[in-house]
Amino acid sequence: MSSKESCRNELRTAIRQLSDRCLYSASKWAAEQLVGIEQDPAKFTPSNTRFQRGSSSIRRRFRTNEITSTPPTGVAYVSTPVMEEDEVIHGDFYLLAKSYFDCREYRRAAHVLRDQTGKKSVFLRCYALYLAGEKRKEEEMIELEGPLGKSDTVNRELVSLERELSTLCKNNMIDPFGLYLYGLVLKEKGNENLARKVLVESVNSYPWNWSAWSELQSLCTTVDLLNSLNLSNHWMKEFFLASVYQELRMHNESLVKYENLQGNFTFSNYIQAQIAKARYSLREFEQVEVIFEDLLRNDPYRVEDMDTYSNVLYTKECFSALSYLAHRVIMTDKYRPESCCIIGNYYSLKGQHEKSVMYFRRALKLNKNYLSAWTLMGHEYVEMKNTPAAVDAYRRAVDINPRDYRAWYGLGQAYEMMGMPHYALHYFRKSVFFQPIDSRLWIAMAQCYESEQLHMLEEAIKCYKRAANCNDTEAIALHRLAKLHRELGHPEEAAFYYKKDLERMEAEDREGPNIVEALMFLATHYKAQKRFEEAEVYCTRLLDYTGPERETAKNLLRGMRIAQSSFPSMDVEHFHP
Amino acid sequence: MAGALKLPSAFAITPHKVSLCILVQIYASPSQVSVPFPFSSVSQHNRLGLYLLALTKSCDDILEPKLDQLISQLREIGGLLDHWLTDHLTSRLSSLSSPDDLFNFFNDMRGILGGPDSGVMEDDQVILDPNSNLGMFLRRCILAFNLLTFEGICHLLTNIGIYCKEAISSCSSYELRRLDDSGNDLESLSEYENMDLNLVFKKINEEMEARKRATEQVSFHLHLPKELSTLVEDIEVFADPKSEHNDKGRESSSYASSGDLLRDFDPNGGVFLRTNWQIQGYLTEQADAIEKHGSSFTLNAFELTLRQLQKLAPELHRVHFLRYLNSLYHDDYFSALENLHRYFDYSAGIEGFDFVPPTGCNSFGRYEIALLCLGMMHFHFGHPKQALEVLTEAVRVSQQHSNDTCLAYTLAAISNLLSEIGFSTTSGILGSPFSPMTSVGTSLSVQQQLFVLLKGSLKRAESLKLKQLVAANHLSMAKFDLTHVQRPLLSFGPKASMKLRTCPISVCKELRLGYHLISEFCCEGSTMTTDGAFSTAWLKNLQKPMGSLVLSQDNSSRNNSNPFLFCTQPSSIPGSVLQLVGSSYLHRATAWEIYGSAPLARVNALVYATCFADASSSSDAALVYVKLVQHLAVFKGYKEAFAALKIAEEKFLCVSKSWILILKLQLLHERALHRGHLKLAQQVCDELGVLASSVTAVDMDLKTEASLRHARTLLAAKQFSQAAAVAHSLFCMCYKFNLQVESASVLLLLAEIHMKSGNAVVGLPYALASLSYCQSFNLDLLRASATLTLAELWLSLGSNHTKTALSLIHGAFPMILGHGGLELSGRAYITEAKCYLSDPNFSVSDNPEVVLDPLRQASDELQALEYHELAAEAFYLMAIVFDKLGQLEKREEAAASFKNHIVALENSQNVEDLLLSV
Repeated sequence: MSSKESCRNELRTAIRQLSDRCLYSASKWAAEQLVGIEQDPAKFTPSNTRFQRGSSSIRRRFRTNEITSTPPTGVAYVSTPVMEEDEVIHGDFYLLAKSYFDCREYRRAAHVLRDQTGKKSVFLRCYALYLAGEKRKEEEMIELEGPLGKSDTVNRELVSLERELSTLCKNNMIDPFGLYLYGLVLKEKGNENLARKVLVESVNSYPWNWSAWSELQSLCTTVDLLNSLNLSNHWMKEFFLASVYQELRMHNESLVKYENLQGNFTFSNYIQAQIAKARYSLREFEQVEVIFEDLLRNDPYRVEDMDTYSNVLYTKECFSALSYLAHRVIMTDKYRPESCCIIGNYYSLKGQHEKSVMYFRRALKLNKNYLSAWTLMGHEYVEMKNTPAAVDAYRRAVDINPRDYRAWYGLGQAYEMMGMPHYALHYFRKSVFFQPIDSRLWIAMAQCYESEQLHMLEEAIKCYKRAANCNDTEAIALHRLAKLHRELGHPEEAAFYYKKDLERMEAEDREGPNIVEALMFLATHYKAQKRFEEAEVYCTRLLDYTGPERETAKNLLRGMRIAQSSFPSMDVEHFHP
Repeated sequence: MAGALKLPSAFAITPHKVSLCILVQIYASPSQVSVPFPFSSVSQHNRLGLYLLALTKSCDDILEPKLDQLISQLREIGGLLDHWLTDHLTSRLSSLSSPDDLFNFFNDMRGILGGPDSGVMEDDQVILDPNSNLGMFLRRCILAFNLLTFEGICHLLTNIGIYCKEAISSCSSYELRRLDDSGNDLESLSEYENMDLNLVFKKINEEMEARKRATEQVSFHLHLPKELSTLVEDIEVFADPKSEHNDKGRESSSYASSGDLLRDFDPNGGVFLRTNWQIQGYLTEQADAIEKHGSSFTLNAFELTLRQLQKLAPELHRVHFLRYLNSLYHDDYFSALENLHRYFDYSAGIEGFDFVPPTGCNSFGRYEIALLCLGMMHFHFGHPKQALEVLTEAVRVSQQHSNDTCLAYTLAAISNLLSEIGFSTTSGILGSPFSPMTSVGTSLSVQQQLFVLLKGSLKRAESLKLKQLVAANHLSMAKFDLTHVQRPLLSFGPKASMKLRTCPISVCKELRLGYHLISEFCCEGSTMTTDGAFSTAWLKNLQKPMGSLVLSQDNSSRNNSNPFLFCTQPSSIPGSVLQLVGSSYLHRATAWEIYGSAPLARVNALVYATCFADASSSSDAALVYVKLVQHLAVFKGYKEAFAALKIAEEKFLCVSKSWILILKLQLLHERALHRGHLKLAQQVCDELGVLASSVTAVDMDLKTEASLRHARTLLAAKQFSQAAAVAHSLFCMCYKFNLQVESASVLLLLAEIHMKSGNAVVGLPYALASLSYCQSFNLDLLRASATLTLAELWLSLGSNHTKTALSLIHGAFPMILGHGGLELSGRAYITEAKCYLSDPNFSVSDNPEVVLDPLRQASDELQALEYHELAAEAFYLMAIVFDKLGQLEKREEAAASFKNHIVALENSQNVEDLLLSV
């Protein structure tokens, strides 16, 4: 990875180039990272000359580097005078087109550039056409919602764009930005393999375009696909990998990458948010909350990723914090799917499920592929006891992303609620397949096996064992394991798990009937095993509790003392039961 | 959106409907004469009216015909008028070029509707009654138009543009063709049209190309009819190198060639598979086809069609079900499982027209149906234990939701499962949910549980008036009665006088009860036409006069899966009913086979093959062929059997190969045994064994058969102890899985083994046991054959038992001669002759024909069978008799034949090596 300063300079150039081409979200991203780089204390020293010298040398190196690999853009003007001339003559048109573009008059922008041949102009024209088509598509989608959910709207520009871009590509007249657009078009048209190839080419020759990376990421649905990509080494690749890993549920790998990146980009909000999301997936809610609080302090009008924060607040049942967050996002931007989702979460927490469903529906109207909204809406329907609707919502989530273990889990729960445990098992199996480290899923599956209809206790035990192995925070698994083993007549195993459960409860300072039950079993068990010392320890502990167990413990103790002190007296007891 | 099921959308105005409006306007133009301007006769006028009625009735579409389709239909209807009609239609459509034109158009439409007081209209004026079908349609169109937003009007306008252009693009060839078959008198007119078209064509040509490319990827809403009408063939069509539109480049080829195909198809009676209803009908039809053709149904082509359908109608979840069926019959477990779950997740089992709304207000889904389907799927894939678990859950859930229909079906499925798959025990599987029915507890044997289940299921089906299920239950009851002795369910208490026998009468009764189904359906056949396939039959009939010749030629190549055929017999009995009735004949054939009446079995099989072959699934049809071929083999020898097998193989080329394959192996094995090709026999037998335990499931019947044949091969190889061991373990298995009919034949085989090994005394009890089995299961033919073996055993005990043996044989003769095959009667004759010969009181010279006649018969029959060993024995005996009689010439003849057979038997080794090397 290159030094901070070179990163900074690369990003600065990139931002200018990206916003020149109206690739705003990419330039936004780049700018965020730029600001995120830790300020070099050297910059603030008065010796500006030293900084400039250093900077220029870096820039020079960077420039040569760029010329050899990628000739386009501002740097290229200098090296190829012909092209510069070209741009100068038509530069005015370009400026006009860009202004139109900035005012979202895409077709006008494209029209202005109709005869321009410079790479930059061609790109902007194509991009404007693409966006115009997208805009129209979105509009038509609402206008034309047909019966049976048929919506055959397409971006009508795709065909001509593909034709033009492929010719350019064939004639080698295309710059990395054009390649990015070409990749985008190919992806929309469903030609994923070629799209992947083209995008890889684009990011290899111009790595600072985050939009290209994200498109590439959405095309990497498996690890094998990821490994098959031929990416050249650049620090942007690290960002990409971290993001892909997260999408592929390799959270720990992703976290490592992000934490490495944080070394250079210490103040990047983006990285912070991504770390928070990764930790959320790892269920480290406390840390996530801290991160998000910090993030909101620095960037109070942020809406991106705030749905994750709201999920955390929901699970922690922080009513006021959640309402505060909802209020804040709705003031910032009401019509963002994230905002609707946050409000939906809030109403759900308040138990007003109808309203909550309404907001999730709104979120889905804004983005019908918004995965978590489908899942959360399913949860709401489950709360409202409308299981068919819940099943439908979950199934849509699953069909959007088959790796969404929450929706699989929801499906399983819904069917279990309807008294179809065997049918539900299929969904639980799917769910644990995609998220084998979540104890709740294993416990749900175990309970399914345990249900009186199935009564497959051996399988239930296996599931509980898996649950116990993956950090079961609510400590259900150990207790159930002990109980099941006791029921099945495996006293040794039962004692083992009771003991473990007891240790755990002691460590966490829990109270409750489970402790008494464990103590009781252990006392009787060890007594039956004639390991009186251990039995005595448990009995004495039982004496601390009130209730019938206390009396039983006393009796047990008495019995043991008698047994230990004089064997003949056992006969006496035997005769007087 | 989730939750609420979407209503079939509101009436939306489409280009097709605009065309209809134009036609209605022509039909009902307000003029003062009784026959308005363009029409020359009232009948012509009426024809258009009828046609319009048909079109308006099928207009709740998700897919509509394209303009050229409409035009070609108009051509059939309009007769001489058609040019005027189409001309008017296209010019009117193309005159709609701005939103304002549309406003004016619909204003005009209002003009042709009569006022609310239409009763007082003048006689000779044609005015549309607003409450008539056409009037209603028009009003709906006007209303829908008035409800449109401006964006909607814009879209309508663009769609009309595309609608016209698509028709024009296909016009050039259409014009040519029309020139050919229409006379010269029309030339000027069509020329005019051509001119006009050329103008338009030039103007829009370029735009068209682009448009085509744009729509090519996403199937535009007018595309589906072709995919549907081409059904299975679409793959070949896309890949057809001869497609005349190929020069347009790959991009538009699929579009163009399918358009081309449409034109080929359309005159043949254009399938109107377009409404939601019709799509459902289509899907049901395809489901039947999948079931019928099994794995021979093209997987990928249909999958492609389904994918397109899904794209066009994402909310039509039935498609997932069809996908499930498709992958089920192609043995793709994972895909089947996935699609099944997906279908029921989306539809909650309450989709499609086979759904009967529940009587109570049950707003929950009907997930019990999902369980039922899942259970059947596991059954199909050979996971009986899982199937049983799932079905148990289905029983519970249906009880919980009081869905009695589903419960009845589930019970039937469970009993089917229990009877098909050998469970040695169901303890721990059939638990609490059955206790209401099996109130006696779970101490019952599997058979008893099955019986209780069958009874319960039958009773339920009867009370719910599920006729098909009743019939199916009767059939399975018959199957149960056929192979099970009824035992008291109570193991204590006063025992009623029970005959421990199966009851052929009850089997017959059950079969006849199942047969009642068809008469019931004949009475109320007309009410059963909920099938979407029928709903447009009359529309097709309208266009029947033309093109039927081409159609019928077409049909002969495809078999009757063709939806066209439905229109020829619109009142036919549903295929499923036919299938059920057919299977009752199949059951009859099997029953007679078991009871030992060969002619009756053959007659029933023949009835099935001739009357129900169309409705039956391919595996059932193959089964009947198998039965007939087996019959041939037993009664006519192998030559004819193999000839018949060849025919069967051609007929069921790739369809359910297994039945035919098994038959082939059986025949080969038997022939090899008779000819003495033992190595070959063993090889064939091993192959049969492999088939029995396939990946999907163990076929118990086939497994028993394979090891039975194994034992017989060993016996033929004179490895008695091994043969006995195999037979013994086979008997144990049969006993464990309650295969009692098979036990009888295994016991008989054991008796034979002991007899051949020279331990006649040991063989006797086996033969007697087999006899008693045969008696209690009414296996008459097997009983005769057991009697014969018993006679042989007595005979081999010494000459003083010949009387007993002879009387046994004579007792069995009527059965053997009436129903037995060649081998059996040959054996019987030989044994009879041997009895006489070994009787010390019998002298050959007194009564030579008593011995010679049966021997001649035997030798004839055995020669037909190429059973060298026994034939040699017959000739040997004959030679001895002739020798005793002093007829030396005939003796030499018999001796020569004897030698021939012996040589053939000895040579078999060499021949076999040759065969094996090939």
